[in-house]
Amino acid sequence: MSGADVEARLREPWSDLETDHDTAFARQRAGATFGIWVFLASEALFFGALFLTYTATRLAHPEAFAAAGRETNIVYGTLNTAILLTSSLTMAVASQAAEKGLFRRMTLWCLAATAALGLAFLVVKGFEYREDIEKHLVPGARFALSQAPAQLFFGFYWLVTVVHAIHLGIGIGLVARLIEKGRRDPEFLKENPQVEVTALYWHLVDLVWVFLYPMLYLPGRSG
Amino acid sequence: MSTTASPTGLADPDELDLGLPVSYLADGHSVRSWLLTTDHKRIAILYAVTITVFFFIGGAAATLVRLELATPEADLLRADTYNKLFTLHGVVMVWFFLIPSIPNTLGNFLVPLMIGAREVAFPKLNLISWYLNLGGGLLAVAALILGGVDTGWTFYVPYSTVFSNTWVSLTVLGVFTTGFSSIATGVNFIGTIHLLRAPGMTWFRLPLFVWAMYTTSLMFVLATPVLAVTLLLVFAERTFGLPIFDPARGGDPILFQHLFWFYSHPAVYIMVLPAMGVVSELITCFARRKVFGYTFMVYALVAIAVIGFFTWGHHMFTSGMSPYAALVFSFLSFVVAVPSAIKVFNWTGTLYRGQVGFESPMLYALGFVGLFTLGGLTGLFLASIPIDVHVQDTYFVVAHFHYIMVGASVSAYFGGLHFWWPKITGRTYPETWARFAAILMFFGFNLTFFPQFIAGYLGMPRRYHVYPPEFQIWNVLSSAGAAVLAVAYLMPLGYLTWSLLFGERAKNNPWDASGLEWRTTSPPPRQNFFGAPRVQGGPYNYHPEGVAPVHDQPRLPSQGSLT
Amino acid sequence: MSAKSETPNPETPGALWRRNLPVWAALMALLALSAWAAYWPFGRIDTALGFAIAGVKTALVALVFMQLKHASGLVRIVAACGLFWAAILFTLTLADVLSRMVNR
Repeated sequence: MSGADVEARLREPWSDLETDHDTAFARQRAGATFGIWVFLASEALFFGALFLTYTATRLAHPEAFAAAGRETNIVYGTLNTAILLTSSLTMAVASQAAEKGLFRRMTLWCLAATAALGLAFLVVKGFEYREDIEKHLVPGARFALSQAPAQLFFGFYWLVTVVHAIHLGIGIGLVARLIEKGRRDPEFLKENPQVEVTALYWHLVDLVWVFLYPMLYLPGRSG
Repeated sequence: MSTTASPTGLADPDELDLGLPVSYLADGHSVRSWLLTTDHKRIAILYAVTITVFFFIGGAAATLVRLELATPEADLLRADTYNKLFTLHGVVMVWFFLIPSIPNTLGNFLVPLMIGAREVAFPKLNLISWYLNLGGGLLAVAALILGGVDTGWTFYVPYSTVFSNTWVSLTVLGVFTTGFSSIATGVNFIGTIHLLRAPGMTWFRLPLFVWAMYTTSLMFVLATPVLAVTLLLVFAERTFGLPIFDPARGGDPILFQHLFWFYSHPAVYIMVLPAMGVVSELITCFARRKVFGYTFMVYALVAIAVIGFFTWGHHMFTSGMSPYAALVFSFLSFVVAVPSAIKVFNWTGTLYRGQVGFESPMLYALGFVGLFTLGGLTGLFLASIPIDVHVQDTYFVVAHFHYIMVGASVSAYFGGLHFWWPKITGRTYPETWARFAAILMFFGFNLTFFPQFIAGYLGMPRRYHVYPPEFQIWNVLSSAGAAVLAVAYLMPLGYLTWSLLFGERAKNNPWDASGLEWRTTSPPPRQNFFGAPRVQGGPYNYHPEGVAPVHDQPRLPSQGSLT
Repeated sequence: MSAKSETPNPETPGALWRRNLPVWAALMALLALSAWAAYWPFGRIDTALGFAIAGVKTALVALVFMQLKHASGLVRIVAACGLFWAAILFTLTLADVLSRMVNR
């Protein structure tokens, strides 16, 4: 990258460092990576606390959780896991290409594929929600299952899938922003730390789902 | 703030006009230049304004509570109003004053200055953090005042989710929002301290205040998300009827307490570690001593921050938790007292053979050491299960945590505010008034809270607006102390405001302190320093290694100019 | 970041895909295994296997897609801290929950 490009890309406070622009820019990138990882560690505790709620409740009511887990739609669940894992692949390729400033067209296509797969996940999830509501899997007076603790499973199910969907929605927004800016400015994506930051966040949202899959869709399948 | 718009930007009229840049306060006067600023110093001021407002809102609630408790009968407030007032007091003081108090005001202002940086690592995130704090605070305070919440600041389930008919959901949402402000600040400080230290500023040359901010940030980042989830679960159960903790359907309310205290116990250290950092700066400066055992002070901070995450169960001894888990938590709670004790020993060790001055910040700092020791030792009473079972939910507990959170943390906040006031505003305040307020605060505090230890030990339960007449003597003492304390808190509001308008221009280094933040003008320019700071030695360079300070020598730091 | 220095030869789109596609294939295989294993009649072992596979998938995504393999020591420590503190939360809470269940 030429010197003027780097200078334009430098932000406060890295632009004030007493080094040349390239070193300052490298530190800015390292700072962005470090900052997002600290945030991801925070998110790990966020979802860790949710998973702990699930674990403790499931340990107390294994049969009810097995019965409730059988009611979720494993086809939708598995399909959505595959969709998200694939979106992580396209996101990773986009991020690694942008990091080296190569293949702008491919980077854009990979980002577009990532956002599209994220939207596909939400669509599938919407179909699943419709089916869940039709099967009376919403906790309350008209709940389908007789065991009371099965309602705890679905209380968790609705909460955690909605929280995950909100995270994914934010991710789609961030990726769409990169696409829009990358389309307008040919130099935007090149070596831009924002691509890596978005990618790391995206992967975390994917990993949360990787754990939700055995929690929500696999209990009670063998019984 | 326009008072500082001197033509040169220099605070000290005795200094020559060297054509230096204007101070951060003079660098733009529009409302926009404040509300959209990314300057960490201005954001610190924004925080200071909001937490001051929240402090007096929470204080007003406490005043009404103390007035009601002056007599055993209910003569001022009805039962549910009383419940709403102590909840308002708790929620506002914990989340909107104490948690952001030192980190977001003094921390925001000083961390970059102390490490020789121009800015925090993520300046925009810093501003977003303030807006999240403000938004969450307004939401919660609006809910607490317009509707009221009667659950206490702990929001225990199932009362908060199933039974309470008050504005729990909105309040919880406000606290949830503010949590993200804490996380943003934590990310910012960790990034800043890791990546933006000036050349030569190695980890073991960092001032203890910076170490305190670093360890506090660790807790911000790792504990706050768990609070966010806990409150989200309460919100979901209340608003959308999703059963999570509902015992009627097999849920476990004790699980809520685990999640809540996984945050809220470290939250106590979020309040007290920054206070420890402030006090370390004050005691070294006013004793003219290097801090005794610097490395152990650092290890103690880190140890408290880490072990502090292992002790939350001591809030739950009587909750129905497993007695085996209670034993483990009790033991771990005793362990965390060790690094705290090391710090107290080292502060007193720093005073030993020091050339101790009794300026107002030092009075606050000395008050901190005494009150923190008393609060910490009564904490050990409460960490041992038999005593805890006896005094659980009594005023003994109330007195204990006020000694830590008010006696220690608020004293240190006021101490730090007075110490760095000349640097932040470029003005000096009337020292006599400040000393008087510091002493009054110490006595008022003890008069308010020491009787509560006795009343609590005798069995007076907390959170009731009526009580048996035999406790009245202790409550009258306590309410009288609260009146003294209120005066002591209002006084700084008066004379510090006065100093903004009429105070003398402050020198760049009025205390002859050794930190990097004093190596720039008061108030500093937007860029913090003139030129790039390079650090040559360790902190607290008040006298040569291994030698006590000579008495009655002029109070000058031996460290040379760093810029 | 550091990956830059480790691949001195000019990168082609093919090389990028060759590095990441096998991971994706492994993830898909693990997903299929996970779904299949849930129907095995082994009770608790199925559950354990489900979460073990989730752990392996996490490791693959973190190391390759999130480039933890090439990350600086600092970033690795941060990632480890997230896991360690989550472990504190789980261990001490479950210590209570499990010992209460045994008592019952």
